[in-house]
Amino acid sequence: METSWLLPLTVFLPWAGALVVLAAGRAARLRIVLAIAFAAADAVLSLLLIPLASSRTGFSVTLGGAFGELSLLPDGFGVFLAAVAAVIGGLAVVFSVDYMRGEEGQGRYYALVLFFIGAMVGLVLSANLLMVVVFWEITALCSWLLISFHNDDPKAVAGGIKALIITGLGGVGLLAGSLAIYAQSGTFDIPTFMAQAHGFPPQLLAWIGFGFLAAAAAKSAQFPFQTWLPDAMEAPTPISALIHAATMVNAGVYLLARFYPAFSSVPGWTLAVVLVGAVSAFIAGLMAVVANDLKRALAWSTVSQLGFMVYAIGAGGIFQSQFHLLSHSVFKALLFLGAGAVIHTVGTRDMRQMGGLSKKMPLTCVVFVIGALALAGIPPVNGFWSKELLLEGGLQSGPFWAYVVMLVTAGLTALYALRCVWMVFFAPPQESHEAPGAHPVHDAGPAMKVALIPLALGSLATWLLAGPFHALLARTLPFHFGPGEVGPGASGTWQMVVEVVSAPSTWLALAVVAVGILAWVGRGVFAKMGAGLRPARRAAEAGFGFEAINRGIANAVQGAGEGLRATQTGVLNWNIAAIVMAVIAVLAALALGG
Amino acid sequence: MTGSVWTIAIAAVLCLVAIGIYGLLILRNLIKIVVALQVFAKGTILIMVVAGGMAGKPAIGQSLAITVLVADTAITIVALALAIQVRRWCGTLDTRVISTLRR
Repeated sequence: METSWLLPLTVFLPWAGALVVLAAGRAARLRIVLAIAFAAADAVLSLLLIPLASSRTGFSVTLGGAFGELSLLPDGFGVFLAAVAAVIGGLAVVFSVDYMRGEEGQGRYYALVLFFIGAMVGLVLSANLLMVVVFWEITALCSWLLISFHNDDPKAVAGGIKALIITGLGGVGLLAGSLAIYAQSGTFDIPTFMAQAHGFPPQLLAWIGFGFLAAAAAKSAQFPFQTWLPDAMEAPTPISALIHAATMVNAGVYLLARFYPAFSSVPGWTLAVVLVGAVSAFIAGLMAVVANDLKRALAWSTVSQLGFMVYAIGAGGIFQSQFHLLSHSVFKALLFLGAGAVIHTVGTRDMRQMGGLSKKMPLTCVVFVIGALALAGIPPVNGFWSKELLLEGGLQSGPFWAYVVMLVTAGLTALYALRCVWMVFFAPPQESHEAPGAHPVHDAGPAMKVALIPLALGSLATWLLAGPFHALLARTLPFHFGPGEVGPGASGTWQMVVEVVSAPSTWLALAVVAVGILAWVGRGVFAKMGAGLRPARRAAEAGFGFEAINRGIANAVQGAGEGLRATQTGVLNWNIAAIVMAVIAVLAALALGG
Repeated sequence: MTGSVWTIAIAAVLCLVAIGIYGLLILRNLIKIVVALQVFAKGTILIMVVAGGMAGKPAIGQSLAITVLVADTAITIVALALAIQVRRWCGTLDTRVISTLRR
């Protein structure tokens, strides 16, 4: 194996950048220039990694007996997700220049963003499970610190802590699974585990598989852990884009896709993955339809689209899930940054107080509409191709009921995408932001445009990469793709186009999308006959009771803590007595056991 | 060395540890607690030397004992410095008075 220094450089350059930005101190201009320079350099490095995927290069350093090796491996997943994290993260940094202008604590902000990008790149490139766990928890830490960036706002602090607790809880599954793998095989090396997985005791493999599924569901905000993502919307909007498109939530989908070949033989595992994906996609779609907060609607749509990817993995469509992840990253970053431009100038996130912005923010309107078309899956934008491929794969190899659920969700997606665009840009304008003395509404600033335009072009064009992308994955992932499945390279895109256009499921899906659009156009009719739907609407607005479950658990923990408080007297002598008694108990147990 | 020497040494260790624990259990003055902790710690250091000698590897026991002594000294200094601060801010060294967890 050849050693490539490009790999560790891509991981640790943003971290070096974070330190440099912090060291820049009070020089605001210098700080921004440094942050952009490091983010851009890392984006370039991550793109340079892509050719490495085909060669037999890698990088490893021995960290001592207990930790194994810090080994980085550029295979298809790794270079692809590293590029997504670094490039989209870089665009979010550029966007922040306008968005965060005049805010306090910018040094902390840019340093954490760079730290976050580096952690995500490290997570996807690591070939050592223990390092995956470490990077996994670092991304959780960064998301907590950035969601709570406005740390004088109680809602932001609560949202950040919620994200930290829920993703940390899921992380236990990953840690336990990794330790079980180490106990069984004596190594944390992922390729070794993939090769040996079928020799593991089935019971143990099932525990590991479901532990990883819990970790992935918590990280990607899937059922039943979906509640943290909407509350994370208290973060500055570029951070939302970063979490939703570049760094955080992709990690769960990556984990499932990476280990799919190892766990696909575990009874019930693929079904559980399909179930998690389908339920998340559907209920999140419903909640997106009733949300009035622009960012919350987008957050639910992320949960829903991630549900599509998880469903695809459960149905065996590794390529489809990753291709949809690529499309989703681009158009969701576009939607969030577009929403950021709107929120920045209007000063509210409530869509009912927006409306009529298409004339005042023409560029933002155009790019947001492109993003919404991709979200809804309308041709020829990238979301259409990846979603059709995904649904077709699901129809062929997944359970039929799940396909029906996903089809309905595709219709819901079109409905809420259209609803967002209408309420923000085309509804009758509201008086509040035209009142004298109010901040004048203006279009996106120059730095915002630099971030928005490439993403809009990307939403129009990334589907052209389908052929090369499939070839890249098929060539470099021997456990996922058999030797006969190596894609034909660039010509594969044309094949995909023919395949998608000629498949009947595509037309079915488009018909469902059209129904979704008609449902919005004819919403007046629905509103009259919709009295029967009111309980469903109320349930969706209440988040289907998952908030209540969260609160119940939090209260139970708090109550237990209050109850156990009596044991903490604060008198040193009692503590010593307890220690002595514990030692005596241990000695007695040893004596009896021996 | 004969076996009786080891017996005496172990008895001494047990005495030191017992005195230390007894002190920690009944004393309420922070300075006295630090002293009791020191007695206890000296007992454990002595057992390292004794155990090394009994196992026929005195060098390991002695080097461990030296290491613990160094760490122990640093901890004692910090504990006494904290006790001084407690006296300055609370006006007392009584652990029952300065405990605020119950209130």
